[in-house]
Amino acid sequence: MPNKGNKNKKNIVLVFAILLFSLALMTLNVKQEKGVRFLDSMTGVILSPFQNFFTQTIQSVSDSINHYLFLVDVSRQNDQLKLEVQRLINEKNQLIEHLASQKRLAKLMAYEDDWENKTVVASVIGRDATQWSKVVVINKGTQDGVADHLAVITDAGVIGQVIHAGLNTSKVLLIVDGRSAVDALFQDSRVSGVVVGMGGDECRLKFVPNTADVKVGDLVLSSGLGGIFPKGLIIGKVSQVARKKQGLFQEITLIPSSDLSRLEEVLVLLP
Amino acid sequence: MYYFSQVLIAIFLFSAQTTWLELFSFGGVTPDLILVWVVYCGVRCSRAGGIGAGITLGLLQDSLSGGLLGVNTLSKGLIAYFFSTLKDKFFVEGVIPIGIFLVFSSIFDGLVFYFSMATILKGEVASGFLYQLLPVCSIYNALIGPFMFVVLDRIDGWVQPKTSNSYMGTTR
Repeated sequence: MPNKGNKNKKNIVLVFAILLFSLALMTLNVKQEKGVRFLDSMTGVILSPFQNFFTQTIQSVSDSINHYLFLVDVSRQNDQLKLEVQRLINEKNQLIEHLASQKRLAKLMAYEDDWENKTVVASVIGRDATQWSKVVVINKGTQDGVADHLAVITDAGVIGQVIHAGLNTSKVLLIVDGRSAVDALFQDSRVSGVVVGMGGDECRLKFVPNTADVKVGDLVLSSGLGGIFPKGLIIGKVSQVARKKQGLFQEITLIPSSDLSRLEEVLVLLP
Repeated sequence: MYYFSQVLIAIFLFSAQTTWLELFSFGGVTPDLILVWVVYCGVRCSRAGGIGAGITLGLLQDSLSGGLLGVNTLSKGLIAYFFSTLKDKFFVEGVIPIGIFLVFSSIFDGLVFYFSMATILKGEVASGFLYQLLPVCSIYNALIGPFMFVVLDRIDGWVQPKTSNSYMGTTR
């Protein structure tokens, strides 16, 4: 009997030890202690060569399959792509005109030129080790000028921000993660709100008044407030709008403009 | 040799979890290979070894994720503790028992994340997390778990052919 009592005591002490250790880690993490960041960096440095290897292997296998095996519809695709190129050339000309007028009127595009000089192209080499957080790992870190709280985009729009820049890898919190919040506005109506992640494939646009005219398909841009994302970057399109009879705000669901499940190359906007 | 093999398994599993496992996602859910390995260690290793493995793997998973540090250390540590302490009281061989244990472990792991997200981080959790994502993940882990158990048993058999025989109930 005394043995059983001792064993029970040991069990209780062990459970408390696990709880205390975990809570201490959580507290340190919330307070952003350097020791904790060091652990993140260390594991990143150790694992990144293997992540690079796996990612490149998968990419080369997938490229081979796409280029050599699936040639059935290539001719038809080629015709379609020629038409698409023609359409894009027309669109590009229109955009050049638009850009020129913008420059003359407000000189707003000056900072976009700056971006071109101050960006880092990075490859996505890994995803979060747990599937519940929406985080990707890129192959650029502090060595390349990447720092915490920098915006990360693709040609399609905003994807997230750097939450931890290691030596040669960085973690990017995607806009669909439950902890992400981006100040935003509608391209047409200029009504503002906050885009928050929902932990899935979509985002929610919060704090948009019931009186605002919002339609499915409306484009949502970053507002520039908050200091991380420059103004005017595309965040996504409205996919659902629900107005409650009671309540001040609409329930708006967004689909991110970038396909966050198939990220390969991204652009980090340096300060 | 044994510890070296464990390091290699860890590197392979963490690399797989963070890179190509996404290709096998079902409904946006991928299996948690680390969770399966923690359950395996809890069942197969000695009590101290199992708990140590659970805490270490949880800590590594935390440091390789962008989430709150300590969440996986807590859940994996407790899962390993549970299996290390109670493995003698349950029948833990065969596909069905392992599958059932993995379902419960996955649900517990998901709930720890859910409550840490809701209470400490105050973040949003996907609307279908509890009744859609978590059950799918649990079943996925339960399906892949027995296969992983066989592979890990084989590897342990190669590494420690004389001293380790998990089917006979011997623990490290």
